[in-house]
Amino acid sequence: MENSVIDAVSKVDTAFQFIFGVSFVILFLITAVTIYFLFRYSSKRNPEPADIDGNLTAEIIWTVVPIIIVGAMFWYGWTGFKALREAPADSYNVKVTARMWSWKFEYPNGKTSDKLYVPVETPVKLDMTSVDVIHSFYVPAFRIKMDTVPGMQTYTWFMSGEPAEYDIQCAEYCGVRHSYMLSKVIVVTKDEFDKWLNGDQQAQAEPEGKALLAKYGCADCHSMDGSVLVGPSLKDIYNRDTVIIENGAEKTVKADEAYLKEAIYDPSTQIVKGYDDMMPPFKDEMPKADLEKIIGYLKGGEKAEKPGERGAKIADNEGCTGCHSTDGSIIVGPSFKGLLDRPVTALHNGKKVELTANIQYIISSIKNPGEYIVEGYDESMPPYDSLSDKDIQALIEYFGTLR
Amino acid sequence: MENTNAVKSFYEDSGSSRTGIMSWLFTTDHKRIGLMYMYVLLAMFVVGVCLGLAIRLELIAPGKTIMEAQTYNAVFTLHGVIMIFIVVIPSIPAAFGNMILPIQLGAEDVSFPRLNLLSWWLYITGTVMALFSLFTGQGAPDTGWTFYVPFSEFTTTNVSVAVIAVFILGFSSILTGINFITTIHRLRAPGITWTKMPLFAWSLYATGWIQVLATPVLGITVLLIFVERVLGVGLFDPNKGGDPILYQHLFWIYSHPAVYIMILPAMGVVSDIIPVFARKNIFGYKTIAVSSLMIAFAGSLVWAHHMFTSGMSDTAVLIFSLLTFVVAIPSAIKVFNWTATLYKGSITLEPPLLYSLGFIFLFSVGGLTGLILGSAGTDIHVHDTYFVVSHFHYVIFGGTGFGLFAAMHYWLPKMYGRMYNKKVAKIAFAVLFVGFNLLYMPLFVIGLQGMPRRYYDYLPQYQTGHMISTFGSWILALGLIIMFVNLYKGYTKGPKIGRNPWGGSTLEWQTMSPPPLLNFDREPDTSRRPYDFKGVTPDE
Repeated sequence: MENSVIDAVSKVDTAFQFIFGVSFVILFLITAVTIYFLFRYSSKRNPEPADIDGNLTAEIIWTVVPIIIVGAMFWYGWTGFKALREAPADSYNVKVTARMWSWKFEYPNGKTSDKLYVPVETPVKLDMTSVDVIHSFYVPAFRIKMDTVPGMQTYTWFMSGEPAEYDIQCAEYCGVRHSYMLSKVIVVTKDEFDKWLNGDQQAQAEPEGKALLAKYGCADCHSMDGSVLVGPSLKDIYNRDTVIIENGAEKTVKADEAYLKEAIYDPSTQIVKGYDDMMPPFKDEMPKADLEKIIGYLKGGEKAEKPGERGAKIADNEGCTGCHSTDGSIIVGPSFKGLLDRPVTALHNGKKVELTANIQYIISSIKNPGEYIVEGYDESMPPYDSLSDKDIQALIEYFGTLR
Repeated sequence: MENTNAVKSFYEDSGSSRTGIMSWLFTTDHKRIGLMYMYVLLAMFVVGVCLGLAIRLELIAPGKTIMEAQTYNAVFTLHGVIMIFIVVIPSIPAAFGNMILPIQLGAEDVSFPRLNLLSWWLYITGTVMALFSLFTGQGAPDTGWTFYVPFSEFTTTNVSVAVIAVFILGFSSILTGINFITTIHRLRAPGITWTKMPLFAWSLYATGWIQVLATPVLGITVLLIFVERVLGVGLFDPNKGGDPILYQHLFWIYSHPAVYIMILPAMGVVSDIIPVFARKNIFGYKTIAVSSLMIAFAGSLVWAHHMFTSGMSDTAVLIFSLLTFVVAIPSAIKVFNWTATLYKGSITLEPPLLYSLGFIFLFSVGGLTGLILGSAGTDIHVHDTYFVVSHFHYVIFGGTGFGLFAAMHYWLPKMYGRMYNKKVAKIAFAVLFVGFNLLYMPLFVIGLQGMPRRYYDYLPQYQTGHMISTFGSWILALGLIIMFVNLYKGYTKGPKIGRNPWGGSTLEWQTMSPPPLLNFDREPDTSRRPYDFKGVTPDE
């Protein structure tokens, strides 16, 4: 398959070279001959003009020769075009959805992203559509451009080649943020791609550290929600002030990285006050790498649960932030900053109404933005009724953090 | 200057009882109507140029330079609408066609003088409405001059008024086309047979047919946008079962032939000018005349080459790519014939010839880069990039624009009876030519690198090209100022001229300058072929 791909770009480039080459020669000849005539047949040098009103042979020559030339140009161009259209059967399929003013890429396993990650040396076929107006998916490096049309499926394909990053630009004018409808094709090694495709997603649902806690049975005795099972809960454990019994004496320590490591590898030396010395040492059982991951998870557990983080990601992926700022500035729509419970003047069925941007209002504005149009803004947002309730909930939680 | 005392020029004799400004606004004299077209379209040209300069200034560096994104989008839309519909389409046919065509045919006026006046009034109405759309409604239109759906239905800006303006301008164009076709068929003086008609008249004849046959499609299309926006019918809206690609077909069925409405008359101007300054018959008169008709015909069948990336079928791409290359042939033949006309001539490089040669070079660059766009595989890469922007400006500004400038240097002395400073005209040409290439050549390069058009902001790799281009735009503007000031001074205060300052052999050079109301103060001699210069010498 590799050959046919290299072919697509190189076939197009051959057509470019051929047409440009011939054109330069023609332009040069016309210009040189004209300048020569101006000089040679100026009225000073040639006061008496010849009486020539045409020459059939000459005209036939400069009719037939251009026909042959443009015939060849057409053929080169068509060959390049065909190569751009014939996606190999074993192409990796990614769905592309364009909207004002961002790109959404959806992978076979359902993962979505706002950048196009692809594995190296792989033909990638993009099945594309748009949810609002016509956009055009353009990657100059691959010589591909295809309009994304609402209500219609289009496709294009490219060979990913070596690891690299390439610009994606929207090439069909689509409104005020058209020139910011940019993204990247990120070509990574197959391993990295698999890791990105599966890993990241698992981390979102169930981070690796958490899986390890389950694997080593930690969760059997240590809860994640603050409740006491057998041992102390792991919730917010990192850097928690802990009273321990060390060599019979009471002592307060910070549960920092060193402490946690020791508490796992050699628990009986530092028993937390109020608990029994019953945890087995994991020194031989748990490799260092896993220990690091678990500590990492215990450290970041707090971060992963930071309110609004998932919502922020959804806002980026769905393209919300293409129009709605998070810092109070106005891009196209109202800013998300301070949105929750903000008083709003909106147009509803042509009438002005005063209301508060409560949760109910925000949900309806996402699912059916035409219902209430905030005063001073255009009705240009498409309905996002494909968002799940959970995603909308996450978004609202995120808005709550933007005070 | 003989006879000027006996016969009044058309300035002094309005042919009606009206005087002052009214004798112009309600005139049926083709020369006055032509001049009025020219004044309005030159004024609008200045507006369009200023908008273009603003676009270039904004793009000198990434990020905001002088305006916000929404303003920028309105500015390039206006630049396009004004330049295409108000300046370039009417330019040579409405202004110089009106002034010169009837005289070249030995006629007293066009076939339907009052219809001609109506065309002008429709043109003014359309122009005023287009300007009106800027200041009313919710903001100036921001769709680009192409009004692509669904965006043009989506946007809340004042698109409805703008498309009605285009609709009205279209009618003006249709009526002018009908008038010229009829005039050419019915009002040729005895002796002016079809093959003795000047090539400028031939080009207007071909143009007239495109205007009459293609413009109604534009009228219908923009009316459909209006209906979509106002009544929400859903012809183009996919949410209502419509097809946005259908709009693109309808739009380009007019707007591609419109490019030939723009360029054919300029080709006619050049075909008339070159033989005069080479003192030699045009090379292959019939071929040039027929190639105009071929361009008009074949040019009507290539519209979908604007849509190779639109999602239409690959078979359609194949057919339209092939047909597009067919149009290249007659254009190439014309260029070769013009060059061959210079062969063994006796050339004086007067300003009209200089501007005509500028036309040939710039149009050739535009035409040859058009081959890249006609070829399917290469078009995919450069479609909707600055390559297209540059190609288009080479053809329309370098072609029609320089053709118009050539006509202004060639025929306006006839209309005003005075001559401009030829040396300054040549300097203006040199400045324009350098500025033009500096402005548009770098755009080919960044287009090939992938710079999309209609971008308010851009990636840093395209900055060098944009910067050079903006410098070029200032030089070009300087050239335009020199040229217009020189022409203005020449036509108001320049030395008076006789009947035939260039030694032309077509009929307009037999009458006095400026011509009388009914064009001829004495019976014109129609026995001579249009480019037969034997015994014809320039005055002075």
